[in-house]
Amino acid sequence: MSVSAIRRLILIGLLIAIGIALSIANPSFLTVDNLMTLLQEASLTGIVAIGFTLILITAGIDMSIGAVIAITSMICINFISYTQLPAYIYIPIALAMGCAIGWVNGFFITHFKLPEFIVTLATRGILAGLALIAAVKDSQGFVKNVFIQDEVFLAFGETVGPVYIVTIVFFVLAFCTQFFLKRTRAGTNVYATGANPTAARLSGINTDRTLIGVYMFSGFCAALTSIFLSARMMTAMPEFGIGSEMDVIASVIIGGTPFTGGVGDIWGTVIGTLFLALIKNGILKLGLSPYIQPIVIGGIIVVVVVLDVWYKDFAEKRAARSARQKQMQSKEGV
Amino acid sequence: MNDPRNSDVLLECRGIDKNYNGPMVLSGVDFALTRGEIHALVGENGAGKSTLIKIVTGVTNRNAGSISFDGHDIPQEHSKNAAEKLGIAVIYQELSLIHGMSVAQNIYLTKEPLLSGLPIIDINKMNTMAQEMIDRYGFDLKATDVIDNLPIAQRQTVEILKALSNKASLMIMDEPTSSLTSTESAQLFKIIRLLKSEGISVLYISHRMEEVFALSDRVTVLRDGRKVAVLEKEQISPAEIIRLMIGRILTDNESHHQMVKKDGEVVLEVDKLCSEGKLKDVSFSVRRGEVLGFGGLVGSGRTELMRAIYGIDPFDSGTITYLGKPYVPTVEKSIAGGYGFVPEERRLQGIMGGISITGNIGIANLDTISSKAGFVSGAKELERAQKAIALLNVKPARPEVLVGNLSGGNQQKVVVGKWLIRDLKLLIVDEPTVGVDIGAKEEMYQTIERLSQAGVAVIVVSSDLPELTRLSDRIIVLRKGRVIKEFVEGAVSEEDVLRAASGLVEGGAQ
Amino acid sequence: MKTGTLDWRQLMVDFRLFGILLLMMVGLTLISDRFLTVDNLTNVLWSVCLIGIMTTGAIYAPITGGIDLSVASIAALAGIVANVLMNVYGLHWLLSIVITLLIGVLIGWVNGVVTTKFLVPAFIVTMAAKTYLFGVAMLVSNGDQITIMQPKEFLAIGVSKFLGIPIPIYIMAVLVIVSHILLKHTVFGRQCIAVGANEVSAKLSGVNPDRTRIIVYIISSVTASIAGIVMASLTQQAYAMNATGYEFDVITAIVIGGTSLMGGNGSVTGALIGAVMVGFINNGLNLLDMPSAYHPIATGIVILAALILNQGVSIPKSIQYLLSCFKPASVK
Repeated sequence: MSVSAIRRLILIGLLIAIGIALSIANPSFLTVDNLMTLLQEASLTGIVAIGFTLILITAGIDMSIGAVIAITSMICINFISYTQLPAYIYIPIALAMGCAIGWVNGFFITHFKLPEFIVTLATRGILAGLALIAAVKDSQGFVKNVFIQDEVFLAFGETVGPVYIVTIVFFVLAFCTQFFLKRTRAGTNVYATGANPTAARLSGINTDRTLIGVYMFSGFCAALTSIFLSARMMTAMPEFGIGSEMDVIASVIIGGTPFTGGVGDIWGTVIGTLFLALIKNGILKLGLSPYIQPIVIGGIIVVVVVLDVWYKDFAEKRAARSARQKQMQSKEGV
Repeated sequence: MNDPRNSDVLLECRGIDKNYNGPMVLSGVDFALTRGEIHALVGENGAGKSTLIKIVTGVTNRNAGSISFDGHDIPQEHSKNAAEKLGIAVIYQELSLIHGMSVAQNIYLTKEPLLSGLPIIDINKMNTMAQEMIDRYGFDLKATDVIDNLPIAQRQTVEILKALSNKASLMIMDEPTSSLTSTESAQLFKIIRLLKSEGISVLYISHRMEEVFALSDRVTVLRDGRKVAVLEKEQISPAEIIRLMIGRILTDNESHHQMVKKDGEVVLEVDKLCSEGKLKDVSFSVRRGEVLGFGGLVGSGRTELMRAIYGIDPFDSGTITYLGKPYVPTVEKSIAGGYGFVPEERRLQGIMGGISITGNIGIANLDTISSKAGFVSGAKELERAQKAIALLNVKPARPEVLVGNLSGGNQQKVVVGKWLIRDLKLLIVDEPTVGVDIGAKEEMYQTIERLSQAGVAVIVVSSDLPELTRLSDRIIVLRKGRVIKEFVEGAVSEEDVLRAASGLVEGGAQ
Repeated sequence: MKTGTLDWRQLMVDFRLFGILLLMMVGLTLISDRFLTVDNLTNVLWSVCLIGIMTTGAIYAPITGGIDLSVASIAALAGIVANVLMNVYGLHWLLSIVITLLIGVLIGWVNGVVTTKFLVPAFIVTMAAKTYLFGVAMLVSNGDQITIMQPKEFLAIGVSKFLGIPIPIYIMAVLVIVSHILLKHTVFGRQCIAVGANEVSAKLSGVNPDRTRIIVYIISSVTASIAGIVMASLTQQAYAMNATGYEFDVITAIVIGGTSLMGGNGSVTGALIGAVMVGFINNGLNLLDMPSAYHPIATGIVILAALILNQGVSIPKSIQYLLSCFKPASVK
């Protein structure tokens, strides 16, 4: 069995174990309501994490996703407050906005050859500020809590049976993205660009275009999340999504996509997202201080990364040893 | 030109000239390759082989001459993509494969078979197509194997399959066996012959004469940018090829460099050094004032040996004695103890391009320009830099110039210079004159000779045979990580070294 | 890096920066009559002081090709820890400061070890550190804005003056001088620059890149802790959100100062001028009654612009390229 498969099995095992522990510790954990809410939480992070996984596969990073959520939710709320336009007009506009921001990120990264993290940190600042400015304000200039009444928009926060729509969308998107990555040429290009950009270019792949496309998709996913988030809250605040990038990074890393590029898949991310959501839910259900949460998220990133490097080292040494033995044997055979 | 087999000619180059804003690298080279032949291109380093390949594959453009391939005239403004479309493929060592992907994915990258009418990759079809191709050629591969788990030889096979899937009619292989074991090489030769039987031409570049001899239908010999000879199958003999490659009309005195035995005290002694997969029982010693040359082909373990004795890479077994004491090298200890090290790849390992000459020289001399408390004396640092600049005649002689802006020769002078101002006992130089103009080359030789006269032990690693024979008092030839031959005393010629390096020495360690 | 004589290149950059600084001051004076008042300039000074102190240590990470995004959280945590040690455990204020700084060393060491030994990108490690340290700060302070009432000596750090100049200015001045000397005139400084310029070459010349980098993150973390102590004393407050967003101001200051994020060069004096500029930008936004939302926008734009300029990119060419992207005919 491959290293990543074992890793995933361990993760699923842990997921189940934590789940059982939690349901013993607090009976309200194992209720349909709580589980569906947990899934909803996971899905909101997860949709962004899907886009982010593609970014990591190209060995990049996108710190602006949280701010994209903020700005797109502000775009929607402005449309809702000041225009009579129907949802099926402004929602596509908001999604397009997410793509456009991704394009800008990708442009700066590919054209000016600037480090991804600094470009996206800068756009993060710019977008977070713009979101505050764009927020709907009352006459005294304070941010107004607009209650969304547009039914088409609110439908995004509804359920089908017990399952939230966002959860369904999350899984459908995960399936489609995984399919895209593994079964289309463009998806293959994403892996190639991340694994070895020089070789990818030699094989005729336009790596710049691939990168820009990936950042656009990441922006799109963030924008999509903002709509589900606003629909669920029935309002939108300029702080929506700010700081959520750490949740997303943690989810993707738990899922097993490394920073080094060329590797990763969506199902790992889905498991990682569920894992993180479970832990966050557990902190809540165990009545722990909410301040534990950032410690856990930041800590998980460091611990998982360190463990992965350790294990990879170990596995490589073992593989090298067995390869040498094999070679010796074949030499003796000749 | 009036070849009767003209209709069979696949690639024909006529009167190719090339200069990179300087001396002619190729002048008036004619070259023809017929369909389904294995054609070896041989020549010393710098003879123009790589340049010719680059021109044919569209990596660089020629200055004059014409090329036709498969009946198409190739314009002067040639491109890599155009060459590929015509069916010219280069087998890279491992550069163009994507890690994490399967064999089939690599073969069909960017041209994956799709489900009819849909933009969806037909994975089954892709795997079957790849496996069919693999089976047809009888390779020991599975289409679903992930590249990362394959040894280098099999990766090369994947490269070849990739070229085959592109319907390449010409495959160019540049030193394909340099990192293969002998069994793996034999496997590759089988594949090459198979390609030939399929009507595919192979242009083969190698320094290993026995390979050239065993494989080739014809051999073209280049020397100093000119075509010297084309040998037909029956004319090919390793000795003849080597004679043609070296081929200068030399006086007896020049062709046979007199080795001079030096009997100063031993500076460095290496005994039975082993490093898994790289070095096997390497023993040698070098004395004060001696220049010890290391010859051998690329991949023979020369660089690995130098890295091990300098303390960069650990080794598995063996002992090193330095200045009479047992020594376990680390870079810091080596520098403090009087080593100097000029690495093989100047741009990647030697210089810090964004930093001034002073800074580049200072970094290896921090111990001598700083106080015990760790403060650097700017005046001392500048003085050292100026000393090094003067010693080696670096141009421009301005210490504040960024090293990245210097010419190759002057960059190399800086890399060497930072050691010369130290109390040097042993200098290791790996390919000291690659990418260096002729004037700077000569200066480099004089510097090395001056050092040896001053009592420094110098180890020179070089693929440039005239360089090696000119500089060395003694030459050790490595092959596949072992010492295969040591030229100790008396006369040695480039031919002798080349014969040893390319495996034509009888009774070697193998 | 030119040593021994004056560094003309850096001097030119610094001089150019100085010119822009003067222009900014003139501009701000013209825009608002409140700018050139003692009150306002003191305000600017405080924020410059805190950013400046952090910058003196944080600049080493970019010089070696890394980055430290955890400085703000470290500073906030330092203030909280110092307060707890003094007012909960009743330790002497000096001892408390020493322990706080030691904790800073530990945090920096962890950052350094994880980046170097486990080959994790520095921004990820320090971003994660930023997150968990913020959590720790919140946990320790229970999320409260704690007012520090005593000891007087501790509070005096922020407010008392010597020869009419506030103590924090001295602290910053000393750190700037120390940092400048460390970078330009010591073995360690040379090693940092070498590691950032070409790690392999540095290693072959006898530098230990891992050790150098670990020390770099320790320095960064210690100066952030010092800034945190000064801030706690100055504001008489220990609060986990006290320094939120300062890491961007610090990066902006460093980048404005001409230090590239790719490693291999850096200027402490340039970063100091950068810190003053950041102070003026923020102050200007305040004076113009711009909401605080404009602050991250300005910072983001300045970072991008400075980075692009540092790379020597021709602006007209870029605009041309940008336009060509929108032309349907141009197929690249």
